[in-house]
Parts: sequence; C-alpha cells; structure tokens
Amino acid sequence: MLTAAAGPRGSSGLQKSYQGWLFISPWIIGFLAFSLFPFVASLYYSFTNYNILTPARWIGLANYQALVHDSLFWTSLYNTLYFTAISVPLSTVLAIGIAILLNMNVRGLAIYRTIFYLPAVVPAVAASILWLWLFNPSFGLIDSILRDVGIPGPGWTFSVVWAKPALILMGLWGLGAPMVIYLAALQGVPTELYEAASIEGATGIHKIRYITLPFISPVILFNTILGIIGSFQYFTQAYVMTSGGPSNSTLFYSLYMYQQAFQFLHMGYASAMAWILFILILLATLLIFRSSARWVYYGGE
Amino acid sequence: MDLPRQSISVAHTPSRPVVRKPPRLRRLAGIGVRHGVLIVLALLFILPFFWMVSTSLKLPSQIFVWPPVWLPNPFAWFNYPKALGFIPFFRYLLNTLYYGVATVLGVLLSSSLVAYGFARVRWRGRQTVFMIMIATMMIPFQVIMIPLFILFHALGWVGSFKPLIIPTFFGSSVFSTFLLRQFFLTIPQTLSDAARIDGASEFAIYYRIILPLAKPALATVALFQFMYAWNDFLGPLIYINRQSLYTISLGLQSFLSAYGTQWGLLMAASTVATLPMILLFFLTQRTFIQGINLTGIKG
Repeated sequence: MLTAAAGPRGSSGLQKSYQGWLFISPWIIGFLAFSLFPFVASLYYSFTNYNILTPARWIGLANYQALVHDSLFWTSLYNTLYFTAISVPLSTVLAIGIAILLNMNVRGLAIYRTIFYLPAVVPAVAASILWLWLFNPSFGLIDSILRDVGIPGPGWTFSVVWAKPALILMGLWGLGAPMVIYLAALQGVPTELYEAASIEGATGIHKIRYITLPFISPVILFNTILGIIGSFQYFTQAYVMTSGGPSNSTLFYSLYMYQQAFQFLHMGYASAMAWILFILILLATLLIFRSSARWVYYGGE
Repeated sequence: MDLPRQSISVAHTPSRPVVRKPPRLRRLAGIGVRHGVLIVLALLFILPFFWMVSTSLKLPSQIFVWPPVWLPNPFAWFNYPKALGFIPFFRYLLNTLYYGVATVLGVLLSSSLVAYGFARVRWRGRQTVFMIMIATMMIPFQVIMIPLFILFHALGWVGSFKPLIIPTFFGSSVFSTFLLRQFFLTIPQTLSDAARIDGASEFAIYYRIILPLAKPALATVALFQFMYAWNDFLGPLIYINRQSLYTISLGLQSFLSAYGTQWGLLMAASTVATLPMILLFFLTQRTFIQGINLTGIKG
C-alpha cells in the first residue's frame, strides 16, 4: 500500500485515494444502512413469519410454498404482466411517434413540447382523481362523448374487463416524460445522414427505419427498461382509483404486496413477494439486454 | 444495423439527380397533415386539464347532466374555499413544503459531495464502486421497503418525516448523484489542477470552484427532488399516520375516500394540488430541459 503512491502523479496517490472515499462516505453509510442491509434483510424475512409485534420466526420456504397456492398472487402477477405487456410498447411507440413528428422542423415546437409534457408534472393522486371523474360511467366526459356518437360506455373502472385498459389509457397521458427524452435524442441525429439518404432516394419511412431508429436505439433500450421497472412498481393509481377492484381486476403486484405488508402485517410473506419481484425485474432486464445486441446500435460514439 | 455509410460521397457525382425536392403543393400538404395530427393530439392532452378546471367551477346541477356542460355558468367559485375548508389544506401545504425543502437540502449536500468523489477525485476502485452505486438504482423500492419500515419502526421514526428525509442526507438519491457527476465531468480538469498547484485542498476545490460552476445542475437536481417530494404518495402513505402530518397527496386521497362523489370539490382540490407544479414547470422550463439533456446516456 505504501508504494502505491509511486508513479507519475507523485506522492499524492495514497492521499487522493483516501480523499475519494471521504467524499463518497455519505453514500457509503447510506448504502450500507438504507440499501444493502434492507436488501439482505428482506431475503431473511422472506423465510420468516413476522408481524412486527412479535419476534420473527424462521419458517423456511413456507412463504414461497404458500405463494404458489395463493390465487391472488397469481392474479396480481397476471394483472401486472398484462399491464406491462400493453402499456410499455404502446407508450414507447406513441412517444417516439410524437417525438419524430415534433422533430420535423414543425413551427411551434416549444408549445407542443410543453403541452405534451405538462401531464407528467401532475401529482399522481390528483391525476388519479381527475381520471376517475373522466371515466365516470354516468357523467364522465369520456362516456358522454362516446354516448354522443352512439357507443355505450364500457364502464371503465367499474368493469372487470375494462379497468386495466382504463388505467393503461390514463398512463398514456403521461407519455410526455419519455417523449422529451426521445426528442432530445432525435436532435442528436446528424442531419447529413438524412440529406445523404434523400439523395439516394430514400422515403420518409426508410429514413425512420434505417437512420432514426438505429440512432436512438440506445435511448429506446434505456427507456424500455425504466418503463418495465416502473410498471412492475405500479401502485399509486391503482390504490387511489380502484383499490384493486373490481373483482381484483386491478390488483397489481405492488398493491397486493403493500396490502400483505401493511394491511395484514404479513411482513415475511410480503418479503417473499418482494424477492420474487426483484428476480422478475432482474430477469426482464437481462432478457432485454440480451436481445439488445440485435437491435441496439452503438456505432455513433 | 447498417447505416448508409458511403452514400455521402455519392452526392458529388453529377450524374445523379440533385436532392429530390417534393413539389411545393405536396410539401405544404405534408406540413398541414403534421400540424393536423399534432393539434388533435395536443387538444386530447389538454382536454383533461380543461375538464378538471371546468368541473371545479360547476354547481352539482351542472355536473350531473348529459350532454355535458363545457363552460360553467355561473362560475361556482365557492367550490375552492369549500374544498380547502374540508381539508386543512394549509397544514398539508406546510407539511409538503417541509418534506420537499428538507429533502432538497439533503440531496444537494450529499449528492454533490458524492458526485465530486466520483467525478473529480481519482482513486483506486472508483469505477467499481460507481458501478455498484448505479446497480442499486435497479433495486425497486418495493424490494427494500419492508426491512426499511422495520428498521425505522425500531428507531421510532415511523409517524414522522425522518424516514423520508434522513436517507437523502446519505446519498439515497442515486439519480441526483448520477446527474451531478455527469455535469461535474464536463468541467475542465485544468481548473482543478490550477487550484491544486496553488495549494487548495480538495474540499476547497469542491466548495469554491466546482459548486459555483455547477449551479445549473444543482438547480435541476433540486427541482427534480422537490417535484418528487410533492408527488410522492407511497412514502408518506407508509410512514405518516397522523392527519396533522399529511402531505397534499395523502390529503387528496383521504378527501376522495371521504367525499367520493363531490366532483366539484374534488376537482377544485386537485386543481389546487396541481397548480404549483405547473407554475414551477413554467418558471423553470429551461432548467428542466437541461436536466433531461443531462440524463442522456452519453459518456
């Protein structure tokens, strides 16, 4: 260690090392206390029966075995996968589509961008209440408009079939957040490429397919992973709007886990759910990373 | 993916036709279609806002009707004082401000120090430790939520803002640290070197040189954190159990469960909860855009 200081940077090497650790020490403490410890502890609790009031009791794999036979667990997993499988691709495609439109030298870009981004700053609870009102089957705006054109409203948040699509639709209102990130990425695509392609006789669709999309593909990867992690954690809207109903059709994974932990005080059981959630997210992320070799283009850097 | 790499050189061969310009009429039609699509979409995005404000100004007799009333007549302003009277809005506002400002302080202080350590000091293992920190961003909050609750319960912090505030003083906002590090990396190294030659300590460089230069990035991080605190629901839901400590989000939710069909009042309360965020967004748009560009995954 003492000789580590030798080298072009002179005797400051060792001192620097210690200073580096000093600067990051707040995070080191926070990491140990508020990330690593709870992470490991949650694995431990998943093998116990624990209700906070009495000491945790080791029960081995019993929580995991019980989960396999818990139909609500499977329902919540299905609801979450359904939600993720539709909302992530749909919002990705729409966000990219709008970003491409905005990137075509349209006049009033700043105004459009502001309008599309605005819903993303609305507090989730306020947005939930607003959409509950918009989806209201008797006097909500959406069903009123549908009635005007002769379509009976499906009942939205009151319907077992339509509650999830309703939440997905509402989620699209917030697509301004990924949209601005795509827009920033699009503005980094060199215009020479488009000009060159035009000379070659490429049509607009070709340019999007062979220039735009490959160029922004690292951003698509990044946003898709964030989107999947976010939708596995989907909670507030379901809690506020439907509390999981009707008939558990919006009982999402995080909501069910919350109920197990904080309403029934099944801390061990909920911890087992937490670890399954972690493994699912890890698998999904790895899978996307694996596939990304085939569709993400890193040549630009 | 193969990009048309070689096509640029083709531009110089005169035998090819010069850039194919679509006829004027077709181009105008293109612009028209583009704006048409964008305007329709923009209206769809604005409509919920319009409906929120419009409903908040209606009497029940104008709310429960079909076809819907677009513009309330007369404006039922009293929904606002009535809604704010039902919920101790001012109390909730103060609580939310406290949560927001305290965590902004925590994030600015700890994340800037940690970011400096990762961006401006060279030390062995830096890259590895940084990767570990980034990896923790992948751990969903739900996974550590339960042991954290048990920990804070044991410490006697549950029922106060401590569980939400104290971790931010220990770099819990990895996103902020990451953002600041990205910005710190763009500051020329020569500035630090010159100060070092003058005998400045590492902390002096952080405090006197880097922080003043990083004001825009610090503003971005502060803004994101404040908005996060304002919108946060799950955190206060778990830790805050007394109504006197409710944040605006918790207050709105309890208002909904108590007066679930009073849409005029609910929309008034939602408008009031949303308005500060919209104002903040308009006032800080430039900072916002800067932040979004910083999150870009370059470098």
